[in-house]
Amino acid sequence: MKIEIRLFGCFSEFEPDSLLRLDLPEAGLKVADARAAVQTYGEQHWPRFKPDLLRVSAFASEDSLLRDGASIPADGRLCLLPPVSGG
Amino acid sequence: MTTESPFQLELHAVDQRALDPAAALEFVSDPGFGGITMFVGRVRNANHGRDVTGVSYSLFAPLVLKVFERACREAAEEFGPRLRLHVSHAHGRLGIGDLAVVVAAGTPHRDEAFRACRKVIEIVKHESPIWKKEHYSDGDSEWSEGCSLCVREAEPMAAALKPHVHGPDCGHEH
Repeated sequence: MKIEIRLFGCFSEFEPDSLLRLDLPEAGLKVADARAAVQTYGEQHWPRFKPDLLRVSAFASEDSLLRDGASIPADGRLCLLPPVSGG
Repeated sequence: MTTESPFQLELHAVDQRALDPAAALEFVSDPGFGGITMFVGRVRNANHGRDVTGVSYSLFAPLVLKVFERACREAAEEFGPRLRLHVSHAHGRLGIGDLAVVVAAGTPHRDEAFRACRKVIEIVKHESPIWKKEHYSDGDSEWSEGCSLCVREAEPMAAALKPHVHGPDCGHEH
């Protein structure tokens, strides 16, 4: 399953266009599988990657937050949202 | 017949339009309202003892507007129904003293106006997908770490956008 993750906050600087494209081995995967894939990718490709920060970062679709047990949207599009700091 | 919303929610790209507190006050005003409150967040010149020259805000607009809307609805449930609210947040590069966020509340009396304004700004700060990068006088820049939006499996869906866990290096204060 091909997924495309829009990266926000500090993650946005880790990939060109703030987009991470990954090819996961099976269809019908959960958000937790995407999180694990980002963890593996980050450890291998992002020098400033912090596993602790990924652990407290949320995944979302275009209109809602997604729990780790939720299915990845059928279009494979996700957003990765690190802790927020507005205001 | 359409009914005007009592909530005004805006995101401003600062290179196009600055936040406008006067317009916010006008929106929340009503002949029957004797209490108007406003919170204005400005960029300050220091962070954790370091000299700041400016900040950059980025955001995920679709979800930000959903959080703003929910914050206003919750405030209306608690302090309404006679309540008008304005929420606006800037994004892009801001200098010292520039306006980052404006929340205004209008109600018949002051108590509800203060409390509604406080409730909304706390949700805006802690739960909106907005990120701040601080630019320092030594040329360094760093992303601020704040509040986690993670949804725990055991939480009911109603809590889906009501998180509160801080990032590992969070310098955030309540």
